[in-house]
Amino acid sequence: MSKREHLLKIGVSGIRGVVGGFLTPGLACEFAQAFGTYVEQGRVVLGRDTRSSGEMLENAVTAGLLAAGCEVIQVGVLPTPTIQMYVAAIGAAGGIALTASHNPPEYNALKLFNHAGLFFNHYERAELLDLYHQSDFYQATNEEMRGVQVHADRPMALHLERVLRHVDLDLIRARRFRVALDGVNGAGSRMSVHFLRDVLGCDLHAISVDPTQVFPREAEPRPDTLGDLAALVRREHCDIGFGQDPDGDRLAVCDETGHVIDNDDVLALVSDAALERVEGDVVVNLTTSSVIDAVAARHGRRVFRTPVGEANVVEGMQSVRTAIGGEGSNGGVIFPSVHLCRDSYTGMAFLLNRLASSPGTVSERVAALPSFFRRSGKVAFEHGRLGPLMQSLEAAYPDADTNRSDGLKLTFADGWIHVRASNTEPLLRIAAEATTAARAEQLQSAVERLLRG
Amino acid sequence: MQRAKALRISPVGVRGIVGPGLTVTHALDFAAAFGTLLATDGPVLLGRDPRSSGNMLRAAATSALLACGRDVIDLGIVSTPVIQHAIRRRNAAGGISLGASHNAAEWNALKFLGPAGTYLASSEAGELLDIYHLKKFAFVDWHQIGKLSTADDAIETYLDDLERVFDFARLRQFRVVVDCCNGTSSTILERVRERFAWPLILINARLEGAAFAHEPETSARMVGSQLGPLIQPLAADAGFLFDADADRVACATSRGEALSEELILPLVADGQLAKFPGRLVLTNLSTTALVDEVARRRGGEVIRVPVGRQAAIDALSGYRPEQIALAGEGTGAIMLPQFRFVYDGIAAMLMVLTIMADRGQALHEIAGSFPRYSMLKGEVPLKQMRIPQLYSELRDAFGHQGRADTLDGLRVDWPEQWFHVRVSQTEPLVRVICEAQGDPPQALFDGLMEQVRRLA
Repeated sequence: MSKREHLLKIGVSGIRGVVGGFLTPGLACEFAQAFGTYVEQGRVVLGRDTRSSGEMLENAVTAGLLAAGCEVIQVGVLPTPTIQMYVAAIGAAGGIALTASHNPPEYNALKLFNHAGLFFNHYERAELLDLYHQSDFYQATNEEMRGVQVHADRPMALHLERVLRHVDLDLIRARRFRVALDGVNGAGSRMSVHFLRDVLGCDLHAISVDPTQVFPREAEPRPDTLGDLAALVRREHCDIGFGQDPDGDRLAVCDETGHVIDNDDVLALVSDAALERVEGDVVVNLTTSSVIDAVAARHGRRVFRTPVGEANVVEGMQSVRTAIGGEGSNGGVIFPSVHLCRDSYTGMAFLLNRLASSPGTVSERVAALPSFFRRSGKVAFEHGRLGPLMQSLEAAYPDADTNRSDGLKLTFADGWIHVRASNTEPLLRIAAEATTAARAEQLQSAVERLLRG
Repeated sequence: MQRAKALRISPVGVRGIVGPGLTVTHALDFAAAFGTLLATDGPVLLGRDPRSSGNMLRAAATSALLACGRDVIDLGIVSTPVIQHAIRRRNAAGGISLGASHNAAEWNALKFLGPAGTYLASSEAGELLDIYHLKKFAFVDWHQIGKLSTADDAIETYLDDLERVFDFARLRQFRVVVDCCNGTSSTILERVRERFAWPLILINARLEGAAFAHEPETSARMVGSQLGPLIQPLAADAGFLFDADADRVACATSRGEALSEELILPLVADGQLAKFPGRLVLTNLSTTALVDEVARRRGGEVIRVPVGRQAAIDALSGYRPEQIALAGEGTGAIMLPQFRFVYDGIAAMLMVLTIMADRGQALHEIAGSFPRYSMLKGEVPLKQMRIPQLYSELRDAFGHQGRADTLDGLRVDWPEQWFHVRVSQTEPLVRVICEAQGDPPQALFDGLMEQVRRLA
C-alpha cells in the first residue's frame, strides 16, 4: 500500500495540489513562467473558478507569465470551456485555467491549453515539464515586459453564441421550461443563471449560484451529492434539473421525478440529440457504458474508444470525423462544432432543445434507452499490482475481445470488464457492465476474486 | 562582476535590474517573507511606480501576501510617501513600495514598510532576510487566504495630510515648474493643480513604463541640464525635479541655476529651526558643514549618524518626534516630524516654497544668505581589503589637531574644513569627501586621494 498522501502532483496533467503547504504561489509562478517560456512570450488567457485560492494563484500565475514576457489576458471567474474557447477565438498563444474541477475546495490546479484552446497533448505536456524541471525560464527585462488586460464580458457572450448556433432558440423559449439548477457556487454560477433564465427563457429555480461563497456540497455532481437539486425539482415541479461542477465542464441531470440520471444516460441522450443534427461518428472513453453503442447504431454511426481522460478523448476525436464525444461516467459532453472541450452548456442546451422538439418527459426518454447494469469499484493503487491482474484476467477469459490501451478491457457478447489505474488519484478502478444485473455482479466479483489472489 | 551588480539584497530591501538580476522569484519570496514577518493585524498596502516591470512585481507580491493570509489593498501607481501615509491612516500592518526611485528604468525594487509607515528597523530587516533565506513561509490553509481590493483615494488623503501643514492658498502665488521625470510625482501634482487651483507647470509628466525622459536622479547636474534652461523662459519662481517615486527632490532658482543637492537640507533646516528653535537636526557624516552653521545660528544641534537610510531610521527611533527639527541627507532626501519621518520630496518642495513665502525672498537670495562652502568628492576602487589599516594610516597622515570620528569610516574635522573617507556599502569603492568654508580644499583633497589610491 502506498502510504504517502498525494497532496501535490506535478505531472503530465499539469500541477495540482492542496493549497497552503503544497501548492504554493512560488510553485504556481514557476510553472507559469515555464509555460510562458514555452509559448514564447505570446498572449495567454488566464481564468479561474471560485475557489478561495483562485485570486492568490491568479496573481502568482500572472507574475510568472509577465516575467516570461507574455501578455496576460485576465478573464476572471469563468467556466473552463468558456476560457478554452476564448483562447482560440482571440488567437492567443495559450491559456491557463485555475481550477481543480470536481476536487474538494482545499485543492487547486493549473489546467493548460494550447493556442487552439485544447488541453496540452502528450508531447506538449512532456516538453513543458522538461522546461519546468530545467528551470531555464525566459526572464524578460523591463523593456520587454508586457501588461495585463482584463476582458470581462466577451468570453461569456462568445461561448453562449457558439452554443446557440446549434439549437432552436425560439422553440426552447416558447416552452418556458421549469428548470432547477445547482451551480455549486462555482465558476458557472452567473453565466448559467443568465443562460437558462435570460437567454433560453426558462422559469429558473436556482440554488448555490453565489460565486463569492464556498462549495455547499461535494464538488463532483453525482446522485449522492445532488440531494438538494432533486428536492428542488420535486418542490418546484420542474421539467428538468441541472447540476454543475465548480468549473462548469461537467453536467449532471435530474429528471422531473427528482431522480438523478446516470451520467452515461445523459451522454446518450445528448448524443442522440446531436446525431440527429450533425454527421460523424462518436468517440468515448473505454469505461463509457455500451448504451452509447446502441444510440450510435440507431443513427448508423460508429463508436471509437479511447483511454480515460478528456485530453485522450479529444485526441481521439481529432483523428476521426466526430459528431460528438465524451466521457459517460464523468458527466462530460464534448461537441466539436462548439469546441473540442467538455461543456455543460452544450449539454443543457441540447437536452432542452430535445425536450422542446419531441414529446416525452426526461424520465420517459431515459426509460426508452436500452438498459445496462453497471458495477464499479476502486481499491488503493499499489505499484506492480495492475500488471498481474491484467494477466490473470486475460487468462480467465481467453475468448473475450481485449483492449490494452488503458489498463485492460475485456469485452463479451453480453458485457465487459475494465480495470485501470486512475490518472489523478492513487487508485485502481474496476468497472463491469452487462445486460443483466446478475451478469454484471458476476463479472465484478470475478475481478475482485482475482484481485484477492 | 557585471552579473553580481544586477541584484542587491540588503536590509533596505531587494533591488536589481529586472531579468538578469531581479526576478519574479525574488519578489515572491521576499513578499512571502514579509507576510511571515508581520506581527500586527491588518491589511498590507501595495503601490508601485510606473515601470513596466511593476505589474509583474505587484502580481508576485499580491500572491505571496494573500497566501500568507493577508488582505492586500492595491493603491495603484503612487509614490512611496503616499503609501507610507496610507499605512497609518488605514491602520495597515505594513506596506510594500515597488519602485526603484532614482535608478534607471530597467531597475526595480521592493521596499518594505512597517505598521508606522516607516522603513523597517535594522533588527526587523535582519529577521526579514533570515526568513527569506530559510524560505519557511507562513502560508495559510485555503479558507484563510486573504482577499485583494483596490483603493484610489490614497493621493487625496495624502493631500489632506499635507494641507494640515502647508498653506496652499499662500504657496499658490509661486509660479513653479516641476520635472516629474515620468514618475509618481506627476499623479500627485496633477491633483494639487486641480484641488488647490495652483497652475503648476509639469514637464515629463506622463507616466512611462519602458524608458524615462532622463535618469530620475535628483542632482544639481541633472537640474542644470534638464530643468534649469526652462526656468527663465517660463518666468518661474523656482523649479523642482523629482525621482521616480518622489521621495527625493532637487531644485533650481528663478535664474535657472541649479541649487546644489547639498543645499536642500540646510535650507529646510533653517526653516524648521526658525519654527522649532533648539531642536535636533539628524543627518549623516558626509553631509555639508553648512548644516552645523545653520543650527548654530538657530540654536539647534546636529546629530551625525553613519551614511545610509538604515542608520537614520534606527537613530530616529531613539528620539521623540518633538525633539527633531528634521532628518535627511545631502541627496535631497529629507524627513519632517510633522509627517512622522517619511522621506518625501513633495513635502520638501512645499517646505522650500514656504520659506520663500515667509521671507519674501527669492530662492537665490536665501541661498546667497548662507556662507559659502565648497565640497570636493572622489572615489577610488577598493582592491585590497585592508580597510582598518586604510583608516588608521589616513588618521596618522591627516588627523593632526583635528577632531576624528570613526563611527563610519574616518571623519576628521577642523574649525574651517573636514574630510570623510569611507568604504561604500553598495559598491567596492572608497568614497572621499572634503569640504571647506570659502574656496574648495583642493590641496587636502589631492593629498587624500593620493594616499587612498595607494592604500585602497
